[in-house]
Amino acid sequence: MSIGGSDLDKAISQLRACRPIPENQVRELCYKARELLIEEGNVVGVDAPVTICGDIHGQFHDLMELFRVGGDVPDTNYLFMGDFVDRGFYSLESFLLLLCLKVRHPDRITLIRGNHESRQITTVYGFYDECLRKYGSANVWRYCCEVFDYLALGALVTGAATSLPPTSAPLADNANPDSFPSDDSEIEVETLNAQGEIMYRYARNSDSQSSNPTSNPASSSPIAPTPSRTGAAGTGATSSANGSKSNDTGAVLCVHGGLSPLIDTIDKIRLLDRKQEVPHEGAMCDLLWSDPDEIDGWGLSPRGAGFLFGADIVKCFNHRNDLSLIARAHQLVMEGFKEMFDSTIVTVWSAPNYCYRCGNVAAILELGEDGSNAGFVRRSNGERGGGGGGWILGSNVDGNGNRRLSSVLGEGALGQRARDGPGRRYRVFEAAPQDSRGMPAKKPVADYFL
Amino acid sequence: MMNGAPVDTHAPGHDVASSISRNGFTITTQKLPILKAGPIDEMHKKLGITPPEMIFGDNFARIEHAASGWNIDFNAFDALDRVDKTGDSMLKVSYSKEWQQNRQKQFEDIKEVVKPFDWSYSTDYKGSTAGPPFRPSEKPIPLALLKRPDPILFFDDVILYEDELADNGIAMLSCKIRVMPARLLLLTRFFMRLDDVVFRIRDTRVFVEFATGEVIREYTAREEKYEVVRKTLAGTKEDVLAIMRDPNRLAQYIPVVEQSLENAVLQ
Repeated sequence: MSIGGSDLDKAISQLRACRPIPENQVRELCYKARELLIEEGNVVGVDAPVTICGDIHGQFHDLMELFRVGGDVPDTNYLFMGDFVDRGFYSLESFLLLLCLKVRHPDRITLIRGNHESRQITTVYGFYDECLRKYGSANVWRYCCEVFDYLALGALVTGAATSLPPTSAPLADNANPDSFPSDDSEIEVETLNAQGEIMYRYARNSDSQSSNPTSNPASSSPIAPTPSRTGAAGTGATSSANGSKSNDTGAVLCVHGGLSPLIDTIDKIRLLDRKQEVPHEGAMCDLLWSDPDEIDGWGLSPRGAGFLFGADIVKCFNHRNDLSLIARAHQLVMEGFKEMFDSTIVTVWSAPNYCYRCGNVAAILELGEDGSNAGFVRRSNGERGGGGGGWILGSNVDGNGNRRLSSVLGEGALGQRARDGPGRRYRVFEAAPQDSRGMPAKKPVADYFL
Repeated sequence: MMNGAPVDTHAPGHDVASSISRNGFTITTQKLPILKAGPIDEMHKKLGITPPEMIFGDNFARIEHAASGWNIDFNAFDALDRVDKTGDSMLKVSYSKEWQQNRQKQFEDIKEVVKPFDWSYSTDYKGSTAGPPFRPSEKPIPLALLKRPDPILFFDDVILYEDELADNGIAMLSCKIRVMPARLLLLTRFFMRLDDVVFRIRDTRVFVEFATGEVIREYTAREEKYEVVRKTLAGTKEDVLAIMRDPNRLAQYIPVVEQSLENAVLQ
């Protein structure tokens, strides 16, 4: 049988109900998906608007909640940064649904590879066992693994707006509207709860205060001075930084893990041979495995494999590649997202109550479309432009008026204008109310352990 | 509100603290979600090492005896404070050699290991105590009494920390406690599997006989190479991967490398 048209829609509605589809349909679906993915480059070009999502890890009901909060496909464009499978109880349904949606709406949904989309990792962390349990054989697992090998390694989002369009969304109960910037400000960062209510708003180049001045900055760069007032945890915004002035928005690179010392330009990612199992070393491995850390330059993970990279590496890479932001996933962050290094990189995590026991919230990142211009030419007016390179990457001048980062970037970089970050709307959500099939019992069951 | 995270993010079904008192002993457990960014940064500073990925810093299990001023408390911070912070006992992931060789060829200049420490979070934590001290003893925990199907008046399973070792296995410290009419048993278990490298199970059991006020603490450390365990299991009819995730079933395949017994009698 063929899985086109109405069959595909049937499969989608079956998977939406969290019911697996028959093995022959999976085979057909995976074949179709491979045909589609093989045409994609290692770095998929994506136009804003798009909603960027992090790890899912088989938490099917939370994926449904994500679609409820972020809008359904194809009304909303999605970019998933990998780790669809393992850990959760419904890796199969989650991955197959995303794959169906990909085949059904290829231009509306982008899937890139995470380190869990690998034969070796899925054998250890649950997906293999789940396929075996649900189908009685490893065939479905094998079909899926073949698809994994074709998934792109990254995506490049262009055409994102520098500021968020004004919304008429209601305010959350616990929001502090007095702290919000005035209506005519350009909104750089906005955080909404799962009901679509605004919890926090931050203007670019505004004097507005944070809604929670006493909160600890979740992620202040080591080179940034500790501001007395800080933006919301998770964002890199600091009131002392006055936000960043609006300017041309560079592109946004999305990868699962992070950077690699073998990759200094995005073109080098394009040259990799990706159609293979994730190797244990090399550029492809690094893109799926590496982590940012508060260090200078490159470092080695204490585990004996894997790289860590610091703020200077991100800033140089972004500058060189005309990027304003790197979005990545891979690491659990309790607030759902975490901006680091003056908002030059963000971790997005989309699995709430991870492993059904962490109690963390999840987030998705919406980038708006630059309404005034399509493509690469950005709007510009007298208010913007930052005055010839005085400011840098999101937080230009510290509380004392000192320019930052000059020691990191060097004079050469300072002489040029750095790219402005896109307007970022984070929607934060909690775990879906569970039907409790297969879930760990809420109360632990008493047992006569010894 | 912080940053968008809803104020109340308790994991569903977890009460904040629950407690039971029995013959002058009070048993309390608390279960909350993992720490948020702020408290993690604080803990990071105090500990001097990167905390595990999932850190249940507000959780604890505690047994108190008010009359003698004795208590024993199990919490993540104190357990992590006993993790080696120097890097002397640092393990390497299974493919480290291959990875290092290739790296050295290409990036001689990248050689700094960032903040070395025992990232497997192996701890020999036996609980934080106050009041009358334990003394070395020969008397084992009376298993026969614990095998009786006495009613369980109070039961909890409290996780203190967990780390996925960057998808190279698992490290987990958790606490189980059951209180019966005449006695209680608490088991704090550190379980670590570094894939293709090593297994560790370190159990601390605390037994209390309410009528006599006798407390017995037993510590048992088990360790074996991954390959040895895998080979042993391959000879059985068991589901090898499933057992490797289950310390209860694994323990019998991993030899004891260290054991100690202590007791205290509380008046």
